[in-house]
Amino acid sequence: MTCEDLLQYLSDYIDHNLDESLTAVAEEHLATCHNCRVVLDSTQQMIFLFQEQGKRTIPAQSRQRLFNQLQDSFLQVSG
Amino acid sequence: MNEEELLTALRRRDPDAFTILFETYSDKVYRLAVGLLENESEAEGVVQDSFLRLFVRLDQFEGRSKISTWLYRVAYNISIDQLRKRRPLVALEDELMDDESPSPVILMDWRDVPERLLTAAEIKDELDKAIATLPQKYKVIFTLRDVEGLSTRETAVITNLSLSAVKVRLHRARLFLRERLAESLMEHV
Repeated sequence: MTCEDLLQYLSDYIDHNLDESLTAVAEEHLATCHNCRVVLDSTQQMIFLFQEQGKRTIPAQSRQRLFNQLQDSFLQVSG
Repeated sequence: MNEEELLTALRRRDPDAFTILFETYSDKVYRLAVGLLENESEAEGVVQDSFLRLFVRLDQFEGRSKISTWLYRVAYNISIDQLRKRRPLVALEDELMDDESPSPVILMDWRDVPERLLTAAEIKDELDKAIATLPQKYKVIFTLRDVEGLSTRETAVITNLSLSAVKVRLHRARLFLRERLAESLMEHV
């Protein structure tokens, strides 16, 4: 497997979507290719950072107002 | 409370069920909308409209799709409609054409860099800056798949794309964001 091939399969590898034989070939390449290992590790780290710290939430000052408005509508729809 | 129980409670207008619904889904819907619209107040409007549509549909909601998928899909469609109104001269289809995958240029090993060099607030700031530069067509896919943890299939249903288009866009989004983040982290090394 070349670096180009590895890059093409990178997301499928991360998502465990590669079949057994391709996974084995990818791991063989990763064991010897420093650059591809770095790209894999940093991509996984990037995803982890977004999952852990990249989640925006409704601003606090709007949240209660939105809750109250929607709750009123929810209870009114019941007629 | 599982989804079926929640739906039953919502249909009888149980106030506690509303609270669970709001706490579970409002931020998720908001994140999708604010990513697309890049405007907090418009994104709040999308949350409001999506929930209101769900309330009206509650009695006909058959549970064939999950509440989350339904809400995301409605929020996505409302957001795209708003984008079209905002930029009628820009053909969204042009933006939706796929281009080539970015190639990794920065090969610095930064596994340990963020926590070692940056405060939590600084990391969050870098993440916000990185995702703000991601083209819209990739942002929505990355948000649904990697931030919210949805499956490829759910993401395809919400965005009305094929499974292969979702996979291609996710792959490009990841490479793009990895590169942007590497660039900004290099400045801190």
